[in-house]
Amino acid sequence: MTVTDQGGPAPVGPTATPAARAVDLVKVYGTGETTVRAVDGISVAFERGRFTAVMGPSGSGKSTLMHCMAGLDVPSSGRTFVGDLEVGLLDDRGLTRMRRDHVGFIFQSFNLVPTLTAGENITLPADLAGRRVDQGWFDLLVSQLGIGDRLGHRPDELSGGQQQRVACARALVDRPDLVFADEPTGNLDSNSSAEVLAFLRRSVTEFGQSIVMVTHDARGAAYADRVVFLADGKVVGELLAPTADSVLEQMKRLGS
Amino acid sequence: MWRVTVKGLLAHKLRLALTGLAIVLGVTFVSGTLVLTDTLSNTFTTLFGHIYQNVDFEVRGKAAFTAGVGGGVVRKPVPESLLASVRSVPGVTYAAGSVSGYAQFVTPAGKAVSNGEAPTLGLSYEPNPRLSVLRLSAGSAPTTPDQVAMDQGTADKYHFRVGGPVRVLLAGSPQTFTISGIVQFGTADNLAGATLAAFDLPTAQTLFDKVGQFDAIDVVTAPGADKAQVQRSIARVLPPGVEVVTGQTVADEASGSINQALSFLSTALLVFAFISLFVGGFTIFNTFSITVGQRTRELALLRIVGASRRQLFRSVLLEAALLGLVASVVGLALGVLTSVGLEELLKGFGITLPSGPLVFRPRTVVVALAVGLGVTVLSAASPARRAVRIPPMAALAAQRATGVESSGRRALIGAVIAVVGAAVLAVGLAAGTIALVGVGAVVGFLGIAMAAPAVARPMSSVIGRPLAALLGVPGRLGRENSMRSPRRTAQTAAALMVGLALVSTIAVFGASVSRSATSSVDQAINADYIISTTGISGVSRAVAPALTGVPGVTAVSTVYSGQFEVRGSVSTLTALSPVDLSATVILRVDSGAGAAALAAGALLIDSTTATSDHLRVGDTVPVVFAQTGHSTMRIGGIFKPNALLGSYVVGDGFFSSHFERARPVAVLVATGTGSGPATTAALRHRLSDFPNLQVQTRAAFEQSQQAQVDQLLGLIYALLALAVLIALIGIVNTLMLSVFERTREIGLLRAVGMRRRQVRSMIRSEAVILSLFGAVIGVVVGTGLGVALAASLAQQGITDIVVPYASLVAFLVLSGLLGLGAATWPARRAARMDVLAAIASE
Repeated sequence: MTVTDQGGPAPVGPTATPAARAVDLVKVYGTGETTVRAVDGISVAFERGRFTAVMGPSGSGKSTLMHCMAGLDVPSSGRTFVGDLEVGLLDDRGLTRMRRDHVGFIFQSFNLVPTLTAGENITLPADLAGRRVDQGWFDLLVSQLGIGDRLGHRPDELSGGQQQRVACARALVDRPDLVFADEPTGNLDSNSSAEVLAFLRRSVTEFGQSIVMVTHDARGAAYADRVVFLADGKVVGELLAPTADSVLEQMKRLGS
Repeated sequence: MWRVTVKGLLAHKLRLALTGLAIVLGVTFVSGTLVLTDTLSNTFTTLFGHIYQNVDFEVRGKAAFTAGVGGGVVRKPVPESLLASVRSVPGVTYAAGSVSGYAQFVTPAGKAVSNGEAPTLGLSYEPNPRLSVLRLSAGSAPTTPDQVAMDQGTADKYHFRVGGPVRVLLAGSPQTFTISGIVQFGTADNLAGATLAAFDLPTAQTLFDKVGQFDAIDVVTAPGADKAQVQRSIARVLPPGVEVVTGQTVADEASGSINQALSFLSTALLVFAFISLFVGGFTIFNTFSITVGQRTRELALLRIVGASRRQLFRSVLLEAALLGLVASVVGLALGVLTSVGLEELLKGFGITLPSGPLVFRPRTVVVALAVGLGVTVLSAASPARRAVRIPPMAALAAQRATGVESSGRRALIGAVIAVVGAAVLAVGLAAGTIALVGVGAVVGFLGIAMAAPAVARPMSSVIGRPLAALLGVPGRLGRENSMRSPRRTAQTAAALMVGLALVSTIAVFGASVSRSATSSVDQAINADYIISTTGISGVSRAVAPALTGVPGVTAVSTVYSGQFEVRGSVSTLTALSPVDLSATVILRVDSGAGAAALAAGALLIDSTTATSDHLRVGDTVPVVFAQTGHSTMRIGGIFKPNALLGSYVVGDGFFSSHFERARPVAVLVATGTGSGPATTAALRHRLSDFPNLQVQTRAAFEQSQQAQVDQLLGLIYALLALAVLIALIGIVNTLMLSVFERTREIGLLRAVGMRRRQVRSMIRSEAVILSLFGAVIGVVVGTGLGVALAASLAQQGITDIVVPYASLVAFLVLSGLLGLGAATWPARRAARMDVLAAIASE
């Protein structure tokens, strides 16, 4: 299965623009002998209101792809878009505004601000933007994530799973157009992983959130609507309505 | 963002406290100085206002010229006959003349009474309580020629009683008086440490050589009189050269000259406060550099979740501003307390000051906050810029970013800045512009601090080698650590570098001044004994005649000194006797004549002045004397600079014809056989009537000159010690941060078998290397600076340049030891670390 320039299967719903897309994206690290083409001409689109997983072995370029699409890293060539915004055309101020207003992030290592309480970490993006948090939405997120009684605690007083759920709330509290999740379960045990993944799934199904998740865990990928497979910096396959088994099977096929 | 900043600050209270301490100390110094000088100024202003509160007008001689800083003015007395004319002016209800002069009590044990540098005043007693500020607390007013009223302070201190005898030193021969009464100065026991001896008016006029004269006539007007009209009427009866001014004017002039002296003190102290803050600025800069580095991930994370560069920049600056604000407020509070301590410190160095209510002006608050906040925010600006440049990706990097290490370009820029600073400093020294010297020094230090990372690696390596050899693995690791981040090593050491550079400058300069003072005595005088006074009282005229019969004495020469105006500027005029000149003073005449010119009433000038003012023998210069007015003088000779004579010399005959009541500043004595214990004893015995005199051999005189220099050096060292202390706080801070940063690494070392003691050795080695690195650069820079400073003052009598190697080496050793001390706390913290927790921590 290959992916066309337009971004694969028909998008869900009437929306024409995808939540994010990349066109002929290339990212090269190093020079001369040591050149690594981490992303080697990828064109891909992530639809709105869908949960997309990006899978691939280590070094396949999945994290680099995400960093470039989120404007954290600068591509060597090609273009990336978040909604209608062309990321490459934004200056630092524009990038800051894009991250603040349109994108949410969840990381493998939680990345909470250690000196702030859980509650303060969640409202941080809104505080930075000088916006008021939608209290109803905040309460709903917090109760869905089961962290209502942990809001006054600092990150070092929380378990890994709790910290990641706080990070989820922080990513979603501003209702971003798109959430990038980079191996969100990489540092979690299986129970905590399941809780986080179930929440992400629910936020797509129930709240219409758009999520792109980089993972190398087949069971995690099974929570997604669609899985995009990468290898050696290229898109090598795609799977709709995946199950853990079908993902594993696809992986095996690609690996051989 | 506000919350992130505040929470971040509060999460590191220790770091906050240590960093803030650097600023607290500087601000304490600034506010302490301001409170102290404001307080003193207020005390004096109140005092003088009090003295003249009932005086409506004062009639006095016009000032011929105003003398230099703190010198006041020289006025001619007014004739006694003028009193009657003033009294007859309509509207005048009371007028009285007064005289003052030198009078110093002698204790029953035979010691001259004085309080530090405070004057010993003799006054005419004014019986009218409206005009007199003296209040009798016991006994009665002096009314006969053998009576004196004594100030309460002296009476209490030496247990004098009314009716008892007291010996008083005067311009002429000492005399014994009966104490008629004890007086207070208003409600105070004495006037700012000055002692008071009050005599009845005719006696005072006789004792102070002012028979038929008054220094001033104080006037009280009738209630409801038109004061301006009265003043005009008085002015109409005055002869030329006499003026009438309001009491307020006199009070303002008196407090004005005190305030001028105080502003001098305040400026001097503020210079040292500034040095402390400058060094504190390095500490702030360094701490923020390190913490921005350590918080790279956190700052990058904030960027990812939507913080703009500007928000991040403001956050770091806000952190600095909060720190600066808290530190300034604490410093301000401590400053008020310290102003009391500062006064005690000055007292310890013989500078006695009066006491009064503490004055706390709004200006002090504004200056303290502005300076504290300003230095902190300014020092944090560069680290804040670095924080802004952190890419958001840094949050995702697996390894903590190690920071950009020093580049050759940075070192080059630093070197260029240092050279520019040195050039500005050199120009400032050559032109004698203090401000340029200061700017040059600041720029130079900043440049050196910028360039220092380039040499930090090799220097740490060299300094650390003996430690590594001595301590084995811990020493080697300490050395490696100090070499690992040259920039941090250099930045931490920079603060100590500045402190030690200044200490070394002073050491070199002081040694040079000290040596020059010694050699200049030998170059200036060949008399065997120098008789002088400690305070400002002057030598009695009765001294020189008393010495003529002493066995062994072959020549006695009296030296006078006074202020005069020459070619439009006020200078000091020294007078020597042409008789016995060659036996007592070394006057090397370049051109013209020496003793002959003095005898002829000509002016001698030194060759420096001759060159700078383009004067030659035979030229005529305009001069003004306070008592005899305008005149001209012929230059009779030009002599080689002589440190004790000054630039202008005349004969004593000429001097006494222009200075009434001229009082000697010293008497020089030559003996045929040199100085010996027998001669010394004979001189002392002959002068036992004058306990205020010092009889010193030339060697002893040299020593006392050196002692004065040393005392001043001691004061400067004490003031610089604060800067060094702040630098040490910076080292403690850096080490604490390093230990925290290397938690994992130290845990690993412990896990593979390093003992606690070895951990401590490791941290201590690093501290010693850091300190010595800063100290070596500082001592080298300071030595250069001291030599330059001394060389630039060669014309002012610093003829010898001395580098006190022993002191400089002692500074290096001391710095190493202080570094060792600074490491105590961080080392203990590192050694106490729980191995497992250290390894587990991220």
